[in-house]
Amino acid sequence: MKQIVVHQEKCTACRECELACSFSHEGVFNPALSRIRVNDFYEEQFYLPLTCVHCADMPCGTVCPTVAIRRDPDGTVRVLEERCIGCKMCLLACPFGVMGFAPERGVAQNCDLCGGDPECVKFCVPGALEFAEVETDAKAKQKFFASVVHRALAGT
Amino acid sequence: MDARYVLVGNSAASLAAVDWIRKYDREGRILLVNREPGPAYSRVALPYYVAGEMTLEDLWIRTPRDYEEKGVELLDAAPVVAVDPEARKISLADGRSVGYEKLLLATGSECVAPPVSGLSEVPVHYLWTLEDARGLKAAAEKARTGLVIGGGFIGMLAAEALRKLRIRLTIVEMAPQLLPQLLDEEGGKRFGEAVRDEGVTLELGTTVRTLARKPSGEIEAELGNGRKVVVDLVVVAAGVRPNLSCVTPEVCEIGRGILVDEFLRTSRPGIFAAGDVAEVVDFLGGGQRVLHAIWPSAVEQGRIAGANMTGRQIAYDGSLGMNVVELFHVTLAQIGRFREGPGDDVKLLGGGRGDAYRKIVVDRDGVVVGAMYLGDAHGVAEMGVVHSWIRRRARWKDFERHHQPRFTYALTVRDVPEVRT
Repeated sequence: MKQIVVHQEKCTACRECELACSFSHEGVFNPALSRIRVNDFYEEQFYLPLTCVHCADMPCGTVCPTVAIRRDPDGTVRVLEERCIGCKMCLLACPFGVMGFAPERGVAQNCDLCGGDPECVKFCVPGALEFAEVETDAKAKQKFFASVVHRALAGT
Repeated sequence: MDARYVLVGNSAASLAAVDWIRKYDREGRILLVNREPGPAYSRVALPYYVAGEMTLEDLWIRTPRDYEEKGVELLDAAPVVAVDPEARKISLADGRSVGYEKLLLATGSECVAPPVSGLSEVPVHYLWTLEDARGLKAAAEKARTGLVIGGGFIGMLAAEALRKLRIRLTIVEMAPQLLPQLLDEEGGKRFGEAVRDEGVTLELGTTVRTLARKPSGEIEAELGNGRKVVVDLVVVAAGVRPNLSCVTPEVCEIGRGILVDEFLRTSRPGIFAAGDVAEVVDFLGGGQRVLHAIWPSAVEQGRIAGANMTGRQIAYDGSLGMNVVELFHVTLAQIGRFREGPGDDVKLLGGGRGDAYRKIVVDRDGVVVGAMYLGDAHGVAEMGVVHSWIRRRARWKDFERHHQPRFTYALTVRDVPEVRT
């Protein structure tokens, strides 16, 4: 499936992606409402945008007690808001810490890939975000990502 | 009516077992037997139904078609009264019997009735089954005041639902704090203040001694501390215990629940157990068996039991207690051992939003074994990362340099290259 691919070395932590996400989904510029988040390690000058990776084993969906998290035919992991009771078990289950919560609506929220045309990618000036075909094996992705992070933080 | 796989229970563990049986065996006949009527509903969602935030329709987590598609025959409203392990069959309340090759006991938990004088003479409500929830909802619509006996998980969810219906509440909890299974002393103190701020009366460290119906129809409760409370509605939430109604020591070995090994096998060949009723291997080790009546563990165990019923040999690495809930505008979460024991080290993390309380427990070997959180909803995502540390038996020293201002995925994956794909 097509996903948001992160070229970490190009990220400048400008946070345009967070603003684009928040504006397109919530109609306001508020990074706290963004479904993509730039993690910053200022000492190491290392910035890492992260959002839902729509992983194969879907720990969020596995623990959901109302079966509110399902996979669309195109592979997108989606929260069905009308079924979500806001219990946050999915937030506790996501090992990447990328399941979010919309306090006003009282429901979990994750990246929905903007239906196939992600706003964050469009507004990423340095080109750290790309919408591209990736393998669906989450472990492989995680492993690749880990090697990038490991290199950057090695020795710290 | 015999089937290769007979599953007793129709919730998290049983449904997960169906999924994994079908992963490995597409043909074998599956019969799912349940004492309650109808397809599976979400027990966790019941308080939200009581509060009017969900409709009855929203509660169903399976449709009749879902069972059909999996090739599962559902026998509902059919309580099991006995298991005959020699003949490999179970007996139903209506007199029928069902033979099995492999049996899964996933009968869940049932509510405990506390030793309160007069309990059976006054109308009280529980919040465990759909039927309970319907009864409580109907009663709550007419009530102005309520008493919740038990300040644990279910008691607090019931209280939250009743508060949303504008019912004036008193909560009685035996322990000196609310949610003793979820919060340490400090967390309990902070949470108790948040609940009191909402206008709820708390009676902690005491019990309800007697219940009696007054001529007005109201119920009077006399507490262990001498106080008296008069209310329209009483909810009993004094905890749950494994539902062993059809399981005797002659069927298989029983401790507090049904004892199972790491393959979710009971002491009796062909019989497996999973979910709330199963006393399983503790993820945190020590060779202990634990009872965690939680959804995620029920799903994990159901899957593994299901797979092993088809002949696989998948070992369970153990149940890790975890819970999260938003109550009275506070989000609370707990994973693993959140109360420090002898030799444990405690890390209190700052840097969160507002005045969140974030605690991590590290054992004497430096391994992260538990965490507790009290704060806003967003912070739970970080606890998800800590959850993955605990699951991977990660060491605190690998994270401590970066624990402020927030946990990150980046640190979680640092040592992942060891993961086999």
